[in-house]
Amino acid sequence: MRTLLRLLILVWLAAAAEFAAAQAWPSKPVRLIVPYGPGGPVDISARLLAAKLQDALGQPVLPDNRPGAGGNIGVDLVAKGAADGSTLVMSAIATLAINPTLYPGLPYDPLKDLRHVTLLVQVPNVLIVANDLPAKNVKELIALARQRPGKLDFGSGSTGSTGHLAGEMFKMMTGTYMVHIPYRGSAPALADMMAGRVHLMFDNLASALPSIKSDKVRALATTTRARSSFLPDLPTLDEAGLKGFDMTTWWGVSVAAKTPQAVVDRLSAEILKAMDAPDMKERLRNMGSEAPAVRTPDQFAAFVAAELKTYTALVKRSGAKVD
Amino acid sequence: MEGIFGNLAIGFTEVFKLQAITIAGVSMTLPFNILMCLIGVILGTLIGVLPGIGPVATIAMLLPVTFNLAPIAALIMLAGIYYGAQYGGSTTAILVNLPGESSSVVTCLDGYQMARRGRAGPALATAAIGSFFAGCVATLVVAMFAPPLAEVALKFGPAEYFSLMVLGLVAAVVLASGSLIKAIAMVILGLLLGLVGTDVNSGVLRFAFGISEMADGIGFVTVAMGMFGICEIIANLEQKEHREVFTSKVGSLMPGKEDWKRMWKPILRGTALGSALGILPGGGALLASFGAYTLEKKVSAYSHEFGKGAIEGVAAPEAANNAGAQTSFIPLLTLGIPSNAVMALMIGAMMIQGIAPGPQVMTERPQLFWGMIASMWVGNLMLVILNLPLIGMWIKLLTVPYRYLYPSILLFMAIGVFSISNQPFDCFLMACFGLLGYVCVKLGCEPAPLILGFILGPLMEENLRRAMLLSRGDPWVFISPSKPISMGFLLAALALLVIIALPALRKKRQEVFVEET
Amino acid sequence: MKIKSQQDWWAGLMFIGFGLFFVVFALGTPEFIDRIVGVKLIGGYQMGSSVRMGPAYFPVLLGGLLAFLGLLVLLDAIVEEGPKVAKFHFRPLLFIAVSSLAFAYLLKPLGLVLASAALVFVSAYGGHEFKWKEVAIMTVVLAMFSVLVFVKGLTLPFPICPSFIDNCPIR
Repeated sequence: MRTLLRLLILVWLAAAAEFAAAQAWPSKPVRLIVPYGPGGPVDISARLLAAKLQDALGQPVLPDNRPGAGGNIGVDLVAKGAADGSTLVMSAIATLAINPTLYPGLPYDPLKDLRHVTLLVQVPNVLIVANDLPAKNVKELIALARQRPGKLDFGSGSTGSTGHLAGEMFKMMTGTYMVHIPYRGSAPALADMMAGRVHLMFDNLASALPSIKSDKVRALATTTRARSSFLPDLPTLDEAGLKGFDMTTWWGVSVAAKTPQAVVDRLSAEILKAMDAPDMKERLRNMGSEAPAVRTPDQFAAFVAAELKTYTALVKRSGAKVD
Repeated sequence: MEGIFGNLAIGFTEVFKLQAITIAGVSMTLPFNILMCLIGVILGTLIGVLPGIGPVATIAMLLPVTFNLAPIAALIMLAGIYYGAQYGGSTTAILVNLPGESSSVVTCLDGYQMARRGRAGPALATAAIGSFFAGCVATLVVAMFAPPLAEVALKFGPAEYFSLMVLGLVAAVVLASGSLIKAIAMVILGLLLGLVGTDVNSGVLRFAFGISEMADGIGFVTVAMGMFGICEIIANLEQKEHREVFTSKVGSLMPGKEDWKRMWKPILRGTALGSALGILPGGGALLASFGAYTLEKKVSAYSHEFGKGAIEGVAAPEAANNAGAQTSFIPLLTLGIPSNAVMALMIGAMMIQGIAPGPQVMTERPQLFWGMIASMWVGNLMLVILNLPLIGMWIKLLTVPYRYLYPSILLFMAIGVFSISNQPFDCFLMACFGLLGYVCVKLGCEPAPLILGFILGPLMEENLRRAMLLSRGDPWVFISPSKPISMGFLLAALALLVIIALPALRKKRQEVFVEET
Repeated sequence: MKIKSQQDWWAGLMFIGFGLFFVVFALGTPEFIDRIVGVKLIGGYQMGSSVRMGPAYFPVLLGGLLAFLGLLVLLDAIVEEGPKVAKFHFRPLLFIAVSSLAFAYLLKPLGLVLASAALVFVSAYGGHEFKWKEVAIMTVVLAMFSVLVFVKGLTLPFPICPSFIDNCPIR
């Protein structure tokens, strides 16, 4: 009986300590690591979030750009860093689901070394083609690709990006062969597409929307299963015959794995509150993001695990590799 | 033609518009956009002067502030920071041999030499005047020719960029005044150092040796501060006699009649080159500034003075880089494509405000488009009004004994470099490059070609590989008749190489000839 | 073989050194050396073909070219008269380098004020004259200026006070 009492007291103390730690967190400025250079969509959304979190947490939230190796450097910093909630990282589909298979010898394990807090942005990719390409819909494109194996080029923002992998998936499902041309970010790829040097792209909606709306490129389909509310007339690849095609570009906030649960909960609550604020919601929408259905850390973790499984298989089958 | 004036009228009305603003509880009616412009250019000048801290970091930090501003006010301020930094960067380049921006590297060459000879005033004035003139002309170019120029920019694919960069690198060799072979070797060394980091075409991390700070390559600022700044300080300190670095005999603050006569043609040429090359996304503005320098050096009657304080060597690059800064807005405003990291941030700022950057901005939001263009002119005017009187202050600063000056410069450099990623490693790299620069100078190798190779190298490789990918391995794509631009640049590069090599070869032949007799 | 130009001689060696460095690290150590040593000494990158250039292609090409140019410079050093290498002054070099390193590595633990002081003192010591009072005044002025402009004005995230002082008087 006494042992039971002692045990209960211990458990209560531990919980109280964690609770206290969570209340005390953050006690110093929080670093939000952005594993990419300044100006990209992840960076911008991180700065939006940081501004909001700063007000809510009462401590400065400082975005810190740490680009390199497709985002791995920044994520690894946090995975190996202090687990006290003082460092957060903008983790994305590339760093969590794709790179583990793409980069041999990745220094962190996306499921074991990180605790995933909140999914911030989820954007569909859009299949866009150059205006002078003689393909008005997906069917014509597939026919064209089959007619000219190896002659069509598809651009992407980087090796291992969703743009790249969507293209690989498309190739596998349609049995066609197109050449991948990596760029430093979507913008130069879009420029080459407008000029007709590159034939198609699976760009994310945020960066492609202005060009689509101004008729500089032609949109054929979205990569998600459901139609995008931004382009409701655009069919999905699933509708166009590639059954089961469902890809989005997403990113969110993660912390080191051993971060106390109370800190994770508080962080998650604050981020969700920030995301639900009308001005933030509006701004994220302007980036092409629809409010994600995945909300809690557990849902996010399950989501990451599922994406990891999908992309491990996809990357392996496509043979894409970073040597 | 009336269309232009009508549009400019829209723009200027927008810029000078009076708005009801509440600041700290006090409501007043202000021409808010002008105020934002002023704040932007002052801030830009300040960070341009401070070595190491550049417009990218500043704009990124200020992005949250812009969320609550009207879109045009936000963009005016950010734009002001950008071209204000060009003005400020020239100041440090001339005064202390520190290039604030990559396009100020060339200004260091002659600007600093002019300062050492007591001609800092005319140098600074020339930079300001040249920049202002170029800014005005370039703004007009943007206003009148933005859409067609954007189409021209689109014609530049990887093959054309590669050829342009080859031409640029050959021009970089011209920059050096010493041995030709050593200059080429320095360019190549710079190219190699620029390859450190993540390779775009394959995703592989090159030459990082496990140091995560080098995963995105070595920063330009680090190399420039090291090879120009630290190296210069050490070189100055090693003078045995205690000699002041800057002659206390300071000349007039303004350019003399002779100076005016010599500077107007370089300014014109620089403006033309800058306006043309600035529209090319990715490196256009930088190529403009040292293309202008090279052109002047070859064309000028005073070419022997280049490298020792020729005023043309300040006027032309300064005009070019400011013209380039203005025209680099064209791809942003017309196509929605960023020319450099600053533009990418501005696109981000626009998108958050709900403005989709692209060709429709001109038609759907004429106030925004023309307001921005008008603000660029106003900003340039503010900058020249701001900078010319400051020259007196800068001159006074140079009369401070060097033993007070150099620790201050060193401190600002260290702070600037540290702030790049808030890690000590960058300062360590800066010290290493300082050492490298020192050794190079002792061995008669000049650092300027290295820096230019450093900046252009990765771009050149990226475009080369991409062009080869697109042409499926056909190396003749660069000089194929279907790509006249690319062929043109390569031929020009060849011609330039011949022009450079000829005097050297002739000299060698003469020497051999002399020895044989 | 007399070295006619000392500058060119060492410059040539430097270029050859750099060139070979990049070639070796891009290609990696060849198989037979790895087998002798037992472990892969230097991993290289893929060369690829001229059609599809790998990450090692450009570095190897340029490195080789640099080494070749270095050789040319070396030859020039033997053939042509040239200047001698000017004397290396280690004192300023050492002090300036150390002062910037000191600043960088002391900033987080000791804060901006003390790190600046370290930089100013060390770099001033590397100069020609060192008067304690002057340097002290300069340190104070520069530290104040830096705090005002960089931390307060530009909101750079530098700690002002050392990390062991919990409540900084200047916030």
